[in-house]
Amino acid sequence: MSVLSSKTFTRILGAELDKLMTLPLIWHTLISTFMVNIILAAAYTTSSLHAEAGTQNILNIGLASMGYVQAGFIIIGIVAVCSEYTGGQIRTTLTTIPWRGWQLTAKYVALAIVTIPAALIIAATGVLYPYIMMRDTASVAIEINTLIATLIGATGYLTLTTLLSAALGSLIRRTTPVLVTLVSYYFIVGPLMRDALPSIKNYFPDTAGYYMYMVPYANEINALTSVQGTGIVMVWTLILIIIAIVFYRKRDA
Amino acid sequence: MRAFNAELSKLLSLPGIWLALVIGALAPAVVAALDSIVEKADIVAGISTRLSDIGYIGLGFGVQGVIIIGVLAVSSEYVTESSEAGGGQQITTSLTVVASRLQFLLAKACAVIVISVLLCIVTIMTTVLATQLILGEHAPEFEWTRLIGAVCYWTFTALLAFGITLLTKNGMIPLTVLIINSSVVSFSFLLTKATKLAFYLPDRAGMDMFMSERYLTPVTGGLVMLAWVVVILIIAAIEFHRRDVAA
Repeated sequence: MSVLSSKTFTRILGAELDKLMTLPLIWHTLISTFMVNIILAAAYTTSSLHAEAGTQNILNIGLASMGYVQAGFIIIGIVAVCSEYTGGQIRTTLTTIPWRGWQLTAKYVALAIVTIPAALIIAATGVLYPYIMMRDTASVAIEINTLIATLIGATGYLTLTTLLSAALGSLIRRTTPVLVTLVSYYFIVGPLMRDALPSIKNYFPDTAGYYMYMVPYANEINALTSVQGTGIVMVWTLILIIIAIVFYRKRDA
Repeated sequence: MRAFNAELSKLLSLPGIWLALVIGALAPAVVAALDSIVEKADIVAGISTRLSDIGYIGLGFGVQGVIIIGVLAVSSEYVTESSEAGGGQQITTSLTVVASRLQFLLAKACAVIVISVLLCIVTIMTTVLATQLILGEHAPEFEWTRLIGAVCYWTFTALLAFGITLLTKNGMIPLTVLIINSSVVSFSFLLTKATKLAFYLPDRAGMDMFMSERYLTPVTGGLVMLAWVVVILIIAAIEFHRRDVAA
């Protein structure tokens, strides 16, 4: 990658942000993810109110919907990248910005800028809802530090998942195959692998990511700390991004 | 009949369909194999409570293949071609050639049904083979009635995906929602914890056709799922009939 002035990079970033903001599918996905999250939080809260199994951990109830919500962020990551390849948008992009490495980097940065606040809002509503509903029933004293750490973990996980999907998206370049691969990995293969291969499950992005935001149960063996989890997911994401950038620079658009 | 042949040929020439066929034929067998390995010790000792569901569990969770078929059959028609190829959509060509929209839909639905049924039969063979290989003499007998239930479940699922995609026109949302819903912890499973009505959702009711842990009888379950399929297909057909092609 050749050296760019910071002004040029800012302009590339601005262009990428502009493109992201004007994709209708991104907004539709964000809004529906938000709605689904609230519905799921309500369902989980209701069922745990019925269960009344002693002290429920509000954080775990609120973040139980995360498993589903990540699908929305996977879609956002894929759409952000693959929309360039439907029609010939990619050629216009590369004509106006002839520095491929910087262009793709700017795209990922722009994606993170959009994802972080969205993820934070969605994770926060997920926790807030059971908090409000269960305020009078259970002992709901949660330490503010734990709350903040969990929310940061959840936001980080969703953002890293989005970036990971975007990186895979720029490798495969077609929406449907990427979507099928990622969704079946996160929802079918991942959970099965957790049961079948317990020894190495912690090194995969979904299980490692789980420890970024979940408070591990006290009796759980070989659980990761949230820092270890973050590290593993980050390594996966960075490796995929680097591979994506290398391919992007070498390949015919 | 010619429209049906055309639809079949269109479907089979989509690269995504071949991916779907591979996933559909192998995923259930892998799930069944993993499940058999986990349960093997219990089964040999004769204390397993899940003997009767071995193998079927793969057929229940392995429907991604037919979901992809149902979704792609419609969404591929609505993909906008690149600007070099004229920027058109396949649907305009399809409806120029087969002018009757209902006939077009019927032909497409039949193509989806035929491929799903064939795929399910192949899958049943791979799944039975997988359980036989791992469990040997302990493998459960597969009953015809339940296997037919599984074929119905797969076909109905494909048609549901087909109908929903016809309404959304874009394949991403139905694909994601349906695949997640076919996973181990599905939305509808979650909802059954909250309300008994959720047992009448299409996938829960459909699974009752062949799983032994059931809420409805197999026949009722099948009818409930069929009712969902019919209602969604009718809505989709009306909507498709009235919609402007380019819209």
